[in-house]
Amino acid sequence: MTLLLLASLALGTGIATVLIGDARPSVALVLGAVASLVILGFALAMPPEESVVLGGVGFVGTPLVRAMAVAWSASLAVLSVLELGVGGRPTVVGPSLIGLAVACVALATLDPAASVAALAAGGVVGVLVPGLYGWLEGPTPAARLSTTSRGALAVIGSGLLALVVIAWGASAAGPLGSGGVVSEDPKARLALGLALVTMVAAVAIRTGLIPFHVWAARFMEGVSPLAIPAAFTWGSAAFVLAAVEWSQVALGPTAAGDVERLLIIGLGLASVVLGGLAAMFHDDIEHVLGYSILADAGVAVLAFASLEPEAVAAARDWLVASATVKTALAAWAAVVRATYGGHRLAELGGWARHSPGLGVAFAVIFVAAIGVPGMALFEARSTLVTGALGGLGGFLTILVAAMPAIYLGRIGLAGLAPVAVAIGAGPSGRPRWTAGRAAGWSEGPFAQAVRAIPAEVRANRAPLMALGVVALAAMALATAIGGAGGGPGGGSGS
Amino acid sequence: MNLVLVAIVLAIGAGAVVAVSTREPAATAIGLAVCLVGAALFADPLPSASILGVRVVAALLAAALIRWAGRGGARQYSPLGWPGEAMLATAAGVAGLGIALGLAQISVAVGPGVGPGGDGALGGMAPSAVTGMALAIAAGCSLLVVGGAPLVHGRPGIRRAMGLVLVTQAVLLIRIGVGGAATDLEEVARAALLVTVAAGGAALTRAAAFAAAARRGGAEDDQDAEPDADAPRADPSRSGAPTRRPA
Repeated sequence: MTLLLLASLALGTGIATVLIGDARPSVALVLGAVASLVILGFALAMPPEESVVLGGVGFVGTPLVRAMAVAWSASLAVLSVLELGVGGRPTVVGPSLIGLAVACVALATLDPAASVAALAAGGVVGVLVPGLYGWLEGPTPAARLSTTSRGALAVIGSGLLALVVIAWGASAAGPLGSGGVVSEDPKARLALGLALVTMVAAVAIRTGLIPFHVWAARFMEGVSPLAIPAAFTWGSAAFVLAAVEWSQVALGPTAAGDVERLLIIGLGLASVVLGGLAAMFHDDIEHVLGYSILADAGVAVLAFASLEPEAVAAARDWLVASATVKTALAAWAAVVRATYGGHRLAELGGWARHSPGLGVAFAVIFVAAIGVPGMALFEARSTLVTGALGGLGGFLTILVAAMPAIYLGRIGLAGLAPVAVAIGAGPSGRPRWTAGRAAGWSEGPFAQAVRAIPAEVRANRAPLMALGVVALAAMALATAIGGAGGGPGGGSGS
Repeated sequence: MNLVLVAIVLAIGAGAVVAVSTREPAATAIGLAVCLVGAALFADPLPSASILGVRVVAALLAAALIRWAGRGGARQYSPLGWPGEAMLATAAGVAGLGIALGLAQISVAVGPGVGPGGDGALGGMAPSAVTGMALAIAAGCSLLVVGGAPLVHGRPGIRRAMGLVLVTQAVLLIRIGVGGAATDLEEVARAALLVTVAAGGAALTRAAAFAAAARRGGAEDDQDAEPDADAPRADPSRSGAPTRRPA
């Protein structure tokens, strides 16, 4: 029941926030921030396992659903406060709340077709709202509008493709109609493989894997980095989770024959390697963020190559942990851009020296993104790569882990460089006292102290936003250590 | 063969053809509404009143959103005209029937599987060749073809939004035809998807019209401005220029 309350509240406030966001942005932001805090309370109160039947439809709350609800709502609470600081039109809270509601219901329900349809609807909102606001505020409106249009088409197309595959899977003429998942009939095996590859294609389109990455890369250029988690990391993670759970239950581990494995591994590794290389060579921190998300999705898709319970459990850990890490990185990028105005490494020399809070947050994100043996994120990556590639997996795991070390390391080194002119001209990242209260905090009337708070908050906007990024980074590290916390049996309701 | 279902399939196809080929915005909205409401009523047996209400309200809401998006914008219509679109829709419908019959033959050969059984619901194995499953797939294929062209080749505007809605409805029909009746939760999710797609298409249409108007204003200031690839195609009938009626 907690799950349904959470989803109802998130959906209602999300829709309200989207509807009033243009006319009353401040009200929308405050409403979203309060709602995300209440939803975080619901998520924390949610029992690890619960089930409820409503109108003949079963919902099963699992550790995965709880982990995702807690991580997403906590991230959202911080992101909404950061959005208040960054300013502009509210593009984060509304789509994120709708996405959170849809993802929780989709992962808890026993009906895969309903999950996919709901996730597609939520994904459209997650792409359209920030895309249209980015178009309204951007310098090249025509290009951004067509990018938003392509993004919406990609999200809808992937959902519809997945819907067709699920329908075919349930059909008497589908892959399961001719003997089930253990059939030795070559035609049945071909059908199973075709269903699996089609579902992976839907996942590839939704997550923007190479070669379907153009819309995603362009889209991320044109929106606030704060909006990227809802559209890509969390929305895509929920879609991949629904797809991988359905593939495991409906198709089974035997669905991936040699050809299918080759296709899936090729798709995943292309995104991991090329996405990682693109992140290494780009100077724009938003591009680095975008391509790193793409590379993470490439690791997740390797779960389809084996579909063993261990691989699916690892995919759950990986998706939740990497989404939290990339949310923190997106927040870092948004705060850097809002504080210093630059987004190229050449313009950001000495950012960490100038803003120690952002430096600490980035260091924590760095550790969480790479991981060390024993952390859920590292083990999940290792399991996914090894499960798909067998003997080569050990070497490739190190290679895949080294990529974020390089592209994030470049940003970190820029932060330690001498302070650039643009950074030096920006607001200081260190907390300061503007003497808004002449008598000092310990003397004078209480009312004077209260009246001084807004001025001090405005004066310390940069360090306060950095503090928010530190909170997100700590959350990312905790999730990278703990993962989704469900083990092989802690998946979605389906 | 259920004659009511056949009539609904014909209404779905006719509504879609009218929606994409007419030059009158009001007729476009009516055609789309007929198509979507027809798809909402396509069920045998009919679902509960609440689910039927969800379906019909979603269909009408989607049609209203597209109507709102097209208000005041450039008129876009099929270059093929309604006879060409009707031919395409009919051909796709027949192809859909063929696909459905092929699927039915496989089903007969391998048994009912885990999908819809022979319980009389859509997708069940009925004695007649043209079952509810076959009709749903035929209607879906028909909409897929009629909506696919404007979606893929259409410029930003009302035509692309309509293509998006028609293709979504097509897949939802094919899903019912292939996989059987939906659960209540899926019905709600399908309705939400249809309305969200329509709202998204409508928002993009309005944004494209806004962008085109803004650029036209800019072009008047700067005669050397490059032509805009994203601008909706202007309706010659509005400019007073000689027009050629679609075939």
